[in-house]
Amino acid sequence: MSEEQKFSRRTLLFKLGILINTIVAVIVAVPVVGYLLSPLLKTDRYLSWISLGDIGDFPEGQTRLAGFRSPFGSAWDGATDETACWVRRIQGNQFQVFAVDCAHLGCPVRWFPQSELFMCPCHGGVYYADGSRAAGPPPRGLFEYPWKVQGGKLMIQAGQLPTLSTRA
Amino acid sequence: MLLAVMMLASTVACNNLPGRPAPVSDVLRPSQQTDFAALYAQNCAACHGPRGEGGAAIALAGPLYLATVSDQVLRSVTTDGIPGTPMPAFGQSAGGTLTVQQIAALVDGIRKWVPAGAAEGVRPPSYVAGVPGEAKRGAIVYQSFCSSCHGPGGDGGKAAGSIVDPSFLALVSDQGLRTTVIFGRPELGAPDWRGDVPGHPMTDQEVSDVVAWMAAHRVPYPGQPYPSGAGKSLQGGER
Amino acid sequence: MTWLRNIANWLDSRLGLWAPVRDMATHRVPRRSASFFYVFGSAAFVLFILQIVTGILLAFVYVPTGADAWNSLQALNHGVWLGWFLRAIHGWGADFMVAVVLLHLCQVFLFGAYKFPRELNWVIGVCLLLLTLGMAFTGQVLRFDQDAYWGLGIGASIVGRVPFVGAVLVHLLLGGPMINGATLSRFFTLHVFVIPALLIGLVGLHLLLVLKLGINEWPMPGRVVRRETYLREYEEELRKDSIPFVPDAIWKDMVFAAAIVLAVMACAALFGPFGPRGIPDPTIIQTVPQPDFFFLWLYALLALLPPQMETPVLLVAPIFVIGAFLLLPFVAGEGEKSWRRRPVAVLSMLLIAVSLASLTSLANRTPWSPVMDAWSGDPVPRPDLQGRSPLELRGALVFQDEQCRNCHSLGGVGGQRGPALDAVATTLTQDQLIRQVLQGGGNMPAYGKNLTPPEVTALVAFLETLHPVGELPARNASQKEMENAAPLPPQSVR
Repeated sequence: MSEEQKFSRRTLLFKLGILINTIVAVIVAVPVVGYLLSPLLKTDRYLSWISLGDIGDFPEGQTRLAGFRSPFGSAWDGATDETACWVRRIQGNQFQVFAVDCAHLGCPVRWFPQSELFMCPCHGGVYYADGSRAAGPPPRGLFEYPWKVQGGKLMIQAGQLPTLSTRA
Repeated sequence: MLLAVMMLASTVACNNLPGRPAPVSDVLRPSQQTDFAALYAQNCAACHGPRGEGGAAIALAGPLYLATVSDQVLRSVTTDGIPGTPMPAFGQSAGGTLTVQQIAALVDGIRKWVPAGAAEGVRPPSYVAGVPGEAKRGAIVYQSFCSSCHGPGGDGGKAAGSIVDPSFLALVSDQGLRTTVIFGRPELGAPDWRGDVPGHPMTDQEVSDVVAWMAAHRVPYPGQPYPSGAGKSLQGGER
Repeated sequence: MTWLRNIANWLDSRLGLWAPVRDMATHRVPRRSASFFYVFGSAAFVLFILQIVTGILLAFVYVPTGADAWNSLQALNHGVWLGWFLRAIHGWGADFMVAVVLLHLCQVFLFGAYKFPRELNWVIGVCLLLLTLGMAFTGQVLRFDQDAYWGLGIGASIVGRVPFVGAVLVHLLLGGPMINGATLSRFFTLHVFVIPALLIGLVGLHLLLVLKLGINEWPMPGRVVRRETYLREYEEELRKDSIPFVPDAIWKDMVFAAAIVLAVMACAALFGPFGPRGIPDPTIIQTVPQPDFFFLWLYALLALLPPQMETPVLLVAPIFVIGAFLLLPFVAGEGEKSWRRRPVAVLSMLLIAVSLASLTSLANRTPWSPVMDAWSGDPVPRPDLQGRSPLELRGALVFQDEQCRNCHSLGGVGGQRGPALDAVATTLTQDQLIRQVLQGGGNMPAYGKNLTPPEVTALVAFLETLHPVGELPARNASQKEMENAAPLPPQSVR
């Protein structure tokens, strides 16, 4: 066998080794990338109807703090599965349910029944009782959850953190 | 060997440095905070004074007041507020932030401000009106006991302001008027039921009458219209 | 000790490392560069090692789950022997590390050490700075308390402002739909595995380049860097006036690094660990989240930017700033090195330093935040209550009850979001006070719907009494005209 043939066979085998490893790398990469992107693959299932309790727990004309448990949690989430929300019962079966996350950057807003204002402690955002923006840096009013009254219970469609890109 | 012993000793000493956090975790949930001083300073001090001595609102640490008012009244007023007045509802059942235990801790702490028996021998008129008052008699009671400071018509005199202003009356309850008449506002110079006319303490009936007289000055639409720009004072019974 | 020497000799005859290490250590550096100004890089490296060691020790106990992170932190603080001290070293070490890295950046910038041929080292250094800030951010999340929980929400809200892919980025950052155990796991992996691996790799490259290119010579005014001549000039300097790094120059690095580590230990011993502050339960609404010291400037910036500018600044400014940093050696790779001949460099560094310092100091006071307990906890000053009528006292009660005190101070106590009202009667007339209360404006909401007319009347009556003794209240200039004019026709009250 001549030197040229040896070289060409060695380089061919070497290139074959590279090719095989490239193929294997791609095969490995597919599940790895899928794993990394897994939080994106369930988006349509991140919202579900959750009960906040009997509508009798919410007196008319008042805004009260309520809480719910995320249905998408894991066993090791601990308290982080709980989320709070502000429930405003306008009259009868008319409600508004606000997320506690300020529309500016997500700090928890506090309701003051005396002045009927929501105030955010971080950068001074203020909202009126109906959730519209009153003052400060928020670019919009409070995030609201879709709600319905079903079987005497107040239900909201919730499950994801509300931001300017993700609805409540 | 000596080095080893020194290092061991220094690790023992290390544990007592000033930076070490306190043994009991001092990070409580807000609803678990039952220390009276912290609760009072956070919720009550603004209107009732840092030590209950009064301020914009009445003094809670008055010996006569505390001897007269019952725990149940203190608890219910703190929990449910007084609707229509600036006293807010603090209890969680009424939309506030304090639990039943926290309000009980507040009431107990307020009681401790005044030693038991401080009001021995003194009998103020009853806290709640026992007899119905009458406005016509109340006008006479007013002239005798109150007009020297508050003016002939109740519009305000040289020493005190108007007590018949409709806006004022819209923001105070009848019980609030009664409490102020009985216990006064000593921190602001207003005497209690004994000091209006020295030697003649007011009776229960007289208190009820003068409160009824003041209440008769309420109007259906208080506080409006606002002045038309002529610079007249907002006070005074011009409406 | 000959037995020790024999072992060392045996090892070296197998590994063959002693000679290259000795050559590397005793490489020559320009004499004038053996200065205390040059010690910050090695101090950052030593702090990095300290952080790795303390981090590994903490990871023996810390549990990165939403359910137990808090409990493991409490165990470290109170249960494990000297666990609090280790937490304190790691926390203070992080603050010191960011500070020392920034000092190193400033020194390198001022001494022109980013110029030819060290451009790549500068680029790697900028990447190291960003990774260090990444460690700072992921690290403060691992101290899982209320600041961390809501801080994650703030991070998600910032990321959610990116157009088109905002939702994707939010879900990737959080590892799911909301802040959960998955989020904490994600940040733990980043903080413990991913970013340290990148840091170790890049630090290695950074040091390699320093050894290869030599330490920057002391900048002299008038000595201009030119690509054609620099390498020769540097060789010349080394030949003329240089000293071996070990032991003649390294002693300054050793002293400073020791001092810095001692300073970290002293802070840890005296001030203790940072928090954790507040149980990370999302249903506890009474909380005021705050970032750690190295992000306070961003906190202040986001509070003070006008709302319309926030999204553009958040998304575009980092690209410009980081781009400017990375392109610096390619734009200014030649020329004067001495700061005495580089006024633009000195001024821009001073500007950035003063801005960051002012923003950080503002964020310590947070004047833009309403004081959430001022309405029920800050008493009305006694002088403002003396001699007031019953209506005015009711007005003082309305002032507190309607949370006015949360934004407005009296007697220096209260919120600072709005102006102090101790002398408001001298600046606003009665009409203006009524209008301001009813309609608000600027940072103030409109209270018109939320106050009854008696409340407004009482409140304005009280505010009209707030003027310093001896100063007259503001008067409506047209008042005299109005008083002399014909009376208005009677108005209907309804």
